[in-house]
This record gives sequence, C-alpha cells and structure tokens, in this order.
Amino acid sequence: MHKPIEWLIAHLPLDFRVLYRQFLLRVIDLETLSIQADIPRFLGQFAGVLMMLSMIHTIGFYVSLASTRSPQDFLAVSWYFEHHFIATMMLVVGLFTVIAWDSTFPDRRDAMILAPLPIASRTLLFAKVASSCSIWLLAVVTLNFASGFVLPLVLGYAPSGLLGFLRHLTAYWFTMIAASGFVYGLVLTIQGLTALLLPRRLFLRLSAILQLATFGLFLGVYFLQPSLSSPPVLAETRNQWIFASSPSFWFFALFNQLNGTLPPALSWLAYRAWIGLGFVSAGSLASLLLCYMHTMQKTIEQPDLVPGARGLHWTPRLGNSLTTAIVFFTLRSLLRSRQHRVAYAFYLAIVCAIALSVARGALAAPGPGAITRGFLMSTFMMILFAVVGLSRVFALPISLTANWVLRVAQLRPTEKYFSATRQSLLLIAAVPWWIVAAALSLSFRPVHQVAAHLAILAVIGSVLADLSLIGFSKVPFTCSYLPGKSNIQYVFWCFAMAVIPIVALAADYELHALNHPRDLVVLGIILGLAAWGLWAFNRHRARSAVLYYEELPEEVITTLGLIAPRSFVGHGDGYTEIKHES
Amino acid sequence: MQKAMLELRNVSKHFSGIPAVDNASFIARAGQVTGYLGPNGSGKSTTIKMITGLIEMTFGQIFFAGKPIHDDLIAYKRRMGYVPEEPYLYTHLSGAEYLTMVSQLRDLPPRQSAERIDGLLRLFSLYDDRHASISGYSKGMRQKVLLIAALLHNPDLILLDEPFSGLDVASALVLRSLIQELAARGKVVLFSSHELDTVERICSHVVILHRAKLVADDSIEHLRSLMKLPTLEKIFAQLAVEQDSPAMARQIADLIDA
Repeated sequence: MHKPIEWLIAHLPLDFRVLYRQFLLRVIDLETLSIQADIPRFLGQFAGVLMMLSMIHTIGFYVSLASTRSPQDFLAVSWYFEHHFIATMMLVVGLFTVIAWDSTFPDRRDAMILAPLPIASRTLLFAKVASSCSIWLLAVVTLNFASGFVLPLVLGYAPSGLLGFLRHLTAYWFTMIAASGFVYGLVLTIQGLTALLLPRRLFLRLSAILQLATFGLFLGVYFLQPSLSSPPVLAETRNQWIFASSPSFWFFALFNQLNGTLPPALSWLAYRAWIGLGFVSAGSLASLLLCYMHTMQKTIEQPDLVPGARGLHWTPRLGNSLTTAIVFFTLRSLLRSRQHRVAYAFYLAIVCAIALSVARGALAAPGPGAITRGFLMSTFMMILFAVVGLSRVFALPISLTANWVLRVAQLRPTEKYFSATRQSLLLIAAVPWWIVAAALSLSFRPVHQVAAHLAILAVIGSVLADLSLIGFSKVPFTCSYLPGKSNIQYVFWCFAMAVIPIVALAADYELHALNHPRDLVVLGIILGLAAWGLWAFNRHRARSAVLYYEELPEEVITTLGLIAPRSFVGHGDGYTEIKHES
Repeated sequence: MQKAMLELRNVSKHFSGIPAVDNASFIARAGQVTGYLGPNGSGKSTTIKMITGLIEMTFGQIFFAGKPIHDDLIAYKRRMGYVPEEPYLYTHLSGAEYLTMVSQLRDLPPRQSAERIDGLLRLFSLYDDRHASISGYSKGMRQKVLLIAALLHNPDLILLDEPFSGLDVASALVLRSLIQELAARGKVVLFSSHELDTVERICSHVVILHRAKLVADDSIEHLRSLMKLPTLEKIFAQLAVEQDSPAMARQIADLIDA
C-alpha cells in the first residue's frame, strides 16, 4: 500500500512537495494550533474527534431506525438522518473554509518570497489547492467514517442486496464529496471574485467582515433551518421556499436521486444541486486561475496599507487609562488578528449554536412559556464557553517582539494589570452573551424568575472570569505560550463527560430554587460569596505576582561531556586537529 | 532633584556563561549626546536593554540621577524614553491607536496626550496615515512611530538604538537636529549607531565597545588628538575592527566566482 504512495510522492516535482508542506502548515496554522509542530499528530486528533462524532451519529441513526414501527416512520427517520448527515458535513467543511479563509490565496508574504524564485504559478496553485483539499478530504472521510458504511448497508443492502448496497454506497460518498465541495467552492468563488473586483486595500478590509459573515451564515442556516421530519413536510407549499434556497436539501435530493428513491415531485431539488455544483465548480476554477494570473501581481503592486476610515475614531474611557488601554488592545487584537479571531470563533461557534438552538425553540413556541431546564443549561453553557474560550485565547501571543513596549511602560503594579485583564474578559465575553441571554429570556415567564436567573447568570460570569484568571499573570495576547500541547480528543471528551452533567445539575437546582424563594436566596448568597472570594483571592495573589511574558525559562546550554574535546592548532597551511585522550 | 545623569558601574551580562557585556562602566551626562559604538555582536543593544530594564544584569549597577534604577524601576521608567534597534510594533493597530495605547499605559492626561500625538504625527508627516494599520507602514514610518512613542512623555533620559534605521534623508536631518536640541534642553541622550559620520556630527562624547568590553570612553576631540587620527571612522577602525576589509571583500568575491 505504501509503495504506490511512495512512488507517487517521489515522482512529484520537488518544488511542489516543498510548497505543499509549507502550505499545509499554514492551513492548519501551526502558530495557532500547534502541537509542537507535529502535523500528523494534530491531524490524527482532528480526525479522531470527527470519527467519534460519526460513530455517535451513526449509533443514533441505527437506534432510531430500529425503533420505527411502520414503513412511513422508517422513511421519515431515514430521510431525517440523511439530511442531517449532509447538513453536518456541509457545516464542518464550511467552518473549515472559514478557518482557512486567508490561506487559500497567496498573501503578500507568499508573493514577496516566492515571486522572485523560479517557481511556476501553476505549481503554487496546485500546491495551495492540494493542501486545502487534503484537510477537506480528511474531514469528509472521518466525519462519514461510520455512517458512510452503515447507512448504505441499512438502506441499500437490506432491501436490494449487494447491488443496492453498492449503489447507496456510491451515492452516499459522491453526495458527501459533492456537498462539501460545493461549500468549499462557494467560499472560494466569493473570495476570488472579491479579490479580483475590489482594490486590494478594500479587499483587505472587506475580507475580515466577509469571513465573520460567512461564519454566521453557516451556523445560522444549520441551526435555524427546519429539520426534515417526514415526506408530507417536504410537500407542504409554505416550506417550498426553504427547500429551494437551502443547499443541504438540494444534496439530500441528489443523494436520493442517485440511489433511485427520489419521488419525481422532488426532482427539481436534485437539479438545483447539479446546477449549483456546475456554477460553483466554474466559479472556483475561474477564481483560482484568475487569482494566480492576476491577483498575485496585484498583491505585489498594490500596498497593503489600508487607508484611514473617515468614520469615528472615538475611544471611550473605561475606568482608568490602563484599563482603557488593555481593553481596547484586547478588543482590537481579537477583531483584527486572524489567528485570534479563528481561535475564538471555535468557542463562539459553540456559543452561537446554543443560542440559535434556544432561539429556534422560542420562535417555534406560540407564546411566552415557563423557564425550562434546557434554557437554563443553554445560558450557562453560553457564558461558560464565551468566558473560558476567551481566557484561553488570551494566552495566544500576537507579537512577542513588540511586547517590549508593555515592559518599558509598565508603570503600575501587577494588580492593576490583573484588574484590567479581568475587565476585558467580562466586557468582551461575559457581558455580550449575558445580553444575548437576556434577549432570549424575553420568551419566558414569569418575569421575576427571568430576572432572578439573569442575576445568577451575571454572578456566574464573574465567577467564571475569576476562575479562568487564576494563575494568569499576563497581559492578554502577550505571553509566549502556544496552545495545542494538550490532547484535543482527551479535552473534548472529558469536557463532554464532566462539564455537561455539572451544568445539568446546576440547572436542575436553579429550576428548583426559582420556585422556592428561600432556596433562591441561599443560592444567591453562595454564588455571591464564591464570586467575592475568588475576586479577593485573585486580587490578593496579584499584589505579589510579577507580570510575565515568557512562558518558558531561558535555555541554558549544557553538555554531558561524553565526547572528548577537540581542539585545533594553526600553522602556515591551515589547522591540525589535536586528539585528546579520554 | 539631582541633575540627571546615567551611570553604569561594572555592568556585565552573561548568557549561558558567555559574557555579552563585560564590566562596562561609563557616564552619560545631561546636556550632551553620548554615542555608543561597537561592531555587530559587541554588546551595544544588550547594554541598552539593561539600561531600559528589559533584561537583568548579571553583575554591576546602573544609576540614574544618583539612584540605582532598580530601587524604583517604575519611577525610573516614567523618566525614560526608548527607541529599540528593530521597529517591533503591534502591527494590527493603527499608528494613532498604538500611540494612544502608549500614552494610556504611561497614564498621560488624555487631552494633553491627544494634542501631543496629533502634533507629533503632523511634524513627522504621519498624520494622513494615522488611522492606517501599522502592518502597512514602511520601515521609516514605523521608526517614526517609535520615536514619537519614546518622546511622548517628555522623558529625561532618551535611549536611541539605531534611530536612523529606515529614515529618509529629510527625516534623518530632522532627527539629527532633534537629538541635539533635546540634549541642549538638558536631557541625557544615549545614542547607539553604526553611522559613524552621524555620530561624529552630533555626539560630543563616545563610548566604544569591542568584544563585550569598553575600549574607549572619551570625547571625540580628545580621542582624535590622543590617537592622532583625523576621523571617528579611523579611530573606530583601529579600536574595534580586526579584519582587513579589502582582503575580506576579495575573498568573498573569489568564493562566489569559484
């Protein structure tokens, strides 16, 4: 198995191989997510998480299907899961393309370094595309690792034997690759056209906004679009516009068209998939070609200097001048640095998903209802992910070499810096999501219980902020720590196993307390004391702490002395080595 | 308050046991520009980083205005302005944002610092680009931002590590006069540079470092008469340059020709 791969690699041009490796590093963004520069290990962990998700989804699919009692139920469940697998695949690839947003096209650094070298543009193009496609295909294969076999087996083999299985298998994998390729190509087309049509300065400004908008669009569509529960739902006239405008339904129809089970009335949806694929393929191909023929030159010729916006440059004062400086530095770093934006987007994706799920439930409800355990859990999780996520992102450095200015201008005690960092965490993470939670809570009653929950949520935000900052004697984004040293799978599953049950217990207790005023008071006192205690502890610790910027101690050269020292003696013709007896 | 004066006493810095600066002692006085010279790797920037407090000394003491700087580092930092050798800045900020942040970190009054930032940006011809990201600035523009940040709080001690790097001729001429003007107003200016011609024009006193040790600490005039050499370049070549430059140039050309 290895021989053909080795043969293939050996026959690829050397410049392509070198560039492919470099670009692969950049797709993964080792500076952000490095596991000590170990790409196979990182990819293995990434794949492991997706494979586990695939297993869980597939078990859910099998159990749901096994519990059906009529052919109609069986069809409804199978359709629901078919659409769910496709939509999840499109979401994962969509989020991946958002994460790899800036690595698809050559940036100024690529242009400046590679343009003077004797490397053909097509080699650059192929290396970039190959590196992006590697991760994309890895995501497709691992996320469908279990479902890609079980679904064709259950839906194809059981009724039609081996041929039915093979037909379903081919249809499934073709659909998954086509659906994810559609998403990837769509983003590529949008980016390529924007880069081509706009002046580089404007493109740089718009690119970050587009990235965030695309991120929101993928999440919004995934969580807000209706799930496909039964064939009659598909036939309802009022739902037609949703199916017509949602690509995940097009590819659902494509899958069923390919496996021969699509009702003729839905053929138009499958045609949309084909047309969409055609447009996106042409668009992405044109974007790539034009980019490498035209945009790369534009990148070199036009300056990256983004002209000053004529708008307002007002910086409100937040407490003292140090707090203002740190909060705005944090906010600007988060908004302008791709690495930090992307890292925080990972946490925000979870927060948005929770918020959108609650919003969807609220939108579907006929009127305000009683506070539910699900709502309490959701709001806890939102604040938890937002605060803990941002505190993790704080540890990512933005420019280590520029930290000297903070050290030279460190004119106030560490506790002031700690306080400013805490305020940044509260203002940027806790407060906005608390406001979102407050907005979501409008659909719940009674009002006094909602108000009590929001007060508890505010205190929890403070507790989480202080918990996240225990031992954090740094200014956000200035320390040399690089994350990724932990095992992603381990962290992911530990979190799922430990935090979710704790949050569920907390929600149960709060739900009980909301209906028992005495318990509510006790809960408030306990949380208030916890918040005050943690705040006082951190403040006391910060008084004697020293701000640090280097995570690792300075390396000291040591020798084991196992090799005899070598020395040389010079003479007229050169040097002669003197051998020492050991 | 004692008249500002920077004094290094037997200052050493060792990295893994290897001395980067070995037993350096000199004085930089208020009212004069002290040139700090040395070949690459001689320990100039290490000395300046020790003076800024960015790195710890292995041995020795540094005094400013008669007090060891580490007795009250914060009070000392309030009076110090520093332009580093490389224009390292937070490039995701705009020039105005960076300077505002520095003024806030230094706790300068908002209105006064805003006026000062605007004025300095205009004088350094950066005003039109003040809201552009520093990532798009040229090396010279970044150098100007560093200079403004160093002067914003009207420091008594100004440490300039290669301040002319990347500046165009007009800006360099302004900076040259500015350094002299600041010294004339009673500031202590320590100026590290490889541009011997500039150093000779603006410095009254030079300290020369070679292989981590001080090899000269005197006025340029006195060095000229002592060594009977006409220019600072020749003095520097005699004290701190070991190789035969034309011979080395020939060897390099021979090697790439071969």
